[in-house]
Parts: sequence; structure tokens; C-alpha cells
Amino acid sequence: MPEAMLPTEVVLGAWVAAGLTLFIYSFLYKDNPLFKLGEHLYVGISVGYSVVLVWHTVFLRLLWEPLKKSVGEAPASPDSYVLLIPATLGLFMLTRFIPQIGWLSRIAFAFVVGFGSGVAIPRAISSYILKQIEDTVNPLITMGANGLSMGVDLSSPQSGINTIILLIGVVSVLFYFFFSIEHSGPGMVTARVGIYFLMIAFGAAFGYTVMSRMSLLIGRFRDLITFAGAAYGYATLILLAVTVLSLVGWEAATRRKGGESTGA
Amino acid sequence: MKSFARRMIGIDRRIIFLLIAAAILLPLLKPFGLPIKVSPEVKAVYDYIEAMPERSVFFLSFDFDPSSKPELEPQAVALLRHAFRKNLRVIGMTHWLTGTGLADGVFSQVAAEMDKERGKDYVFLGWSPGGGALIISLGQDLYKAFPSDYSKTPTPGMPVLEGVRNLRDVHYMVSLAAGGAGIEMWYVFGKDKYRFEMAGGATGVIAPGLYPFLRSGQINGLIGGLQGAAEYETLIGRKGTATAGMDAQSATHFVIIVLVLLCNVFYFILRGEKGRPR
Repeated sequence: MPEAMLPTEVVLGAWVAAGLTLFIYSFLYKDNPLFKLGEHLYVGISVGYSVVLVWHTVFLRLLWEPLKKSVGEAPASPDSYVLLIPATLGLFMLTRFIPQIGWLSRIAFAFVVGFGSGVAIPRAISSYILKQIEDTVNPLITMGANGLSMGVDLSSPQSGINTIILLIGVVSVLFYFFFSIEHSGPGMVTARVGIYFLMIAFGAAFGYTVMSRMSLLIGRFRDLITFAGAAYGYATLILLAVTVLSLVGWEAATRRKGGESTGA
Repeated sequence: MKSFARRMIGIDRRIIFLLIAAAILLPLLKPFGLPIKVSPEVKAVYDYIEAMPERSVFFLSFDFDPSSKPELEPQAVALLRHAFRKNLRVIGMTHWLTGTGLADGVFSQVAAEMDKERGKDYVFLGWSPGGGALIISLGQDLYKAFPSDYSKTPTPGMPVLEGVRNLRDVHYMVSLAAGGAGIEMWYVFGKDKYRFEMAGGATGVIAPGLYPFLRSGQINGLIGGLQGAAEYETLIGRKGTATAGMDAQSATHFVIIVLVLLCNVFYFILRGEKGRPR
């Protein structure tokens, strides 16, 4: 059965995606003009896309259209002009580019810093400090249907044994970063235990990072395999050949140039 | 032996790249079908959604952009399939400007596949600036924070938002996050203040840092990386791109472990040689 025809824009998108992926991965061979092209396109398109979206979302949807509507409906009401306050503060930020009136930007920054700190600090204390401390000092012994008991199940995060391990980890790591007394004798043992806990945490984080990076690579490979099909005009295969030939040509030209300059 | 070890230690890194490429390519072309074990943190998300009554409000925040697509898109697709299958009302948005088009595409694709209608069964609000301040604004009045959705349809009067005034009316929330503006922000400015239940889906890079939140109950579940997405696909009984990638993931991990072990062996063989550490 013949494969269903894909829309032209989908096929075109596949060619662009496959080409840019191969160009970027060509860096694994060495830095080259194809990689540079892909890199610059990535930066340019990301910025262009962001600017257009910010213009439509922030300026048109959140400022211009509501302002036009409210002023049109009630031009005499001061409430209709309330959006001009954030708009003015936003314009103050741009005065950084004009040194003579650059001081105006401080008003906008003061507002942002003041509002941001006021909103964030109480919430951060509650979420990052109080809740976490609460969880660190879980009861070791709990009252259940069968009376007092202490959980020893390592797979249960709330068990007593895990609470002890957590407590030892927190105290020893905090002690390791406590530099006001010398780490000797029992202090050295505690700090050393803290290092072991840190190493395990770093190992877990690194393992997850490797998994994450490999997932990204798998994602690109999966797309490349898909785009190698007939429905996409064998985009991956053709572009792979183009990339390899371009690299061979570029390498030969670079060597020739190097040889000429050495000869000269 | 020493000369072999010396040659191996100085091997061209491009050979290692080729080994990794082969470890990915071969299982993708010919999968082994290794089993996928579901972890309790992923099961918790599934169980919570499974227990939600029909037409409950499920809020999904796409806090990532195309650079994290291979890990988080499969999670989004699996969660949306599950939510639509349970006939939940889904509200979507993103805190990441460059992820807006990607998120809208995922919504449209899964909704079309599950025969769901925009405005009636789901709404994608798009992106708006503010981060934490936007969450607070959503907690006060959703319609002021998003007067219209991504397709410029006014949000007031939308059937999908019937009875929803703010975040307090959300029954469950999942943030799929690739960085700071995601799960933690949703917890700090959202759940902690407006008291809705929430979980997280994260890239492998940030997942370990979220386990303290999981342990303390600040989030009730966590889907970590491609592995988490594959586990969720297993739970909903619908294999997708994450499951297909897990064989390749295991193969690359195997190659990396072997390379690390070999490097250590060669290091110890050469230890003490002139110019090398003892």
C-alpha cells in the first residue's frame, strides 16, 4: 500500500529539523562552518520567536487591547487608565539606554525588587525551610493499631530507620559546612560522614543527568530515523550524505590552505 | 598490557561517540523489549488522576521548551491521554515563552486523537509573563490573568471553565518542568497558598532535587525523565515514544558503565608510571 502523502510544510519542516540536527552534531567531529550555521540559526530564531510572542502577548493582549477597550467604554473614568501605570514603569526600564534620564529606571527596579522580595520571601521560608524542617524531624516511634512501633522498612520514606538516616545526613552535611571549629577528632568523623552523604547525592544527580542527556540524544535519533523514511523524501539520508561530503570538502580545503601557508 | 592500557586511555573521543550512537541506533531499529518497572512516585500520579470524578478540573502546566522535548513531551502526551480518557476538564498553560507553540501542538494532537473539543473539554491558555506573580494572579482570578486563551477566544463563558474562578477550583495540578520556573514555583506560589493537590513531571537533570518535596508531601507524585514517561505509558496501557526509547536508554547506560569500569582498570594499570598520578 502506498504511504499517505504528508503536507508540504511537514516535509519541509522535517528537512530543516534533520539538517540542523546533523549540522549541530557535526561538532562532535570538530568545530566547523555547518555547526556555526546551525548555532547562529538557533540563537536568531529563538530570539525572533520570543520577540514576536512578547509583542503579541504582553503589548497587544495585556496592554493595548484592554486599554483601548476601557478608554473607549468609559473615557472619563480614571480606572480606565490604570494600565498606564505598569506601562510607564516598563518604559522607565528602557531609560537605561539614555544616560541623561537613566535614573528613572531605578524607580521601576525598586518596584520589581520590592514587590518580588515581599511576595517571595515569606513563601520561600514556608516552602523551603519550615516544611523541610518539619519533614526532617519526623517521629521515630509512632502509635498504630498495635501500639507503639518503629518502622524499619528501608523502602518506606517515612519509616523510623529512614528518619534516622536522614537526620544523620542532615546533621553531618551541615557540620561539614560549619567552618567555625576545627574538623578534628569526633568533628572530623562527622564531617567525613557528611562528605559521604554529599558524594552519594552528587552521584545520584550525575546519574540522572547522564540519563537526561541520553534521553535528548534518543529523541533526536528517533526523529532522524523517522525522517529517513520515504514519506519525508529520505531527508536524513540525503542530508547526512551532504553533511559528510561538506565536511570532507571543508577538511580538504583547510588542509590545502594550511599547506600553502606553511609553504609560503 | 600496559601498552594496551596506554593506547586505550588515549583513545580518540570520537570512537566513544560512535559507540554511544550505535548503542542508541541499534535498539531503536530493533527493540529488545526490556521490562519497565513502575515506581511508587509515578504510580501516585496515576492513582490520583484515576480516582478523580468525571469533569474534574485538571491543570497541566508545560514549563519547558523544545530543548527538553524528548523527555517531557512523552510525559505530557501520556498525562493528557489519561486525563481525556477519564473525561476530565483540562486547563493548560506554560511559563516558558519558547515552549508555547510546542505545548499548543501537543494539546491539539492528543485532543484530536481522543476526540476532544477545544473550549469544551480543554483550553490552552498560552503564555503570560510574571512567573510567581502570574500564579498568584491565577489564584485570585483566572479570567484577569488570562482574559483570552492561546487562540484568542475569550475565557469568560467557556464551557470547560464552568465553575472555575481561580486555582482553588482546580482539583489536581501537574507541572512538567525543565527548570526553576516550574514545579517548585507552582508549589511555593500556588499549592502552598491556594491548597490544591499537585505533582510534578521533571527532566532527569532536576528530578533528584525534587525528591525532598516528594518525601515531605509537598508534591504527591513525581514523573522523572524519559523513564518516568515510560512508566506512565505502561500504567495507561498505551506504549508511546518513551517506551520505545527505554531500550536505547538501557543500552547507552550499559556502554557508559562498561567505559567507566574500563577507564578505572586502565588507570590502575598505569598508576605509578612517569607523569601519571600514584
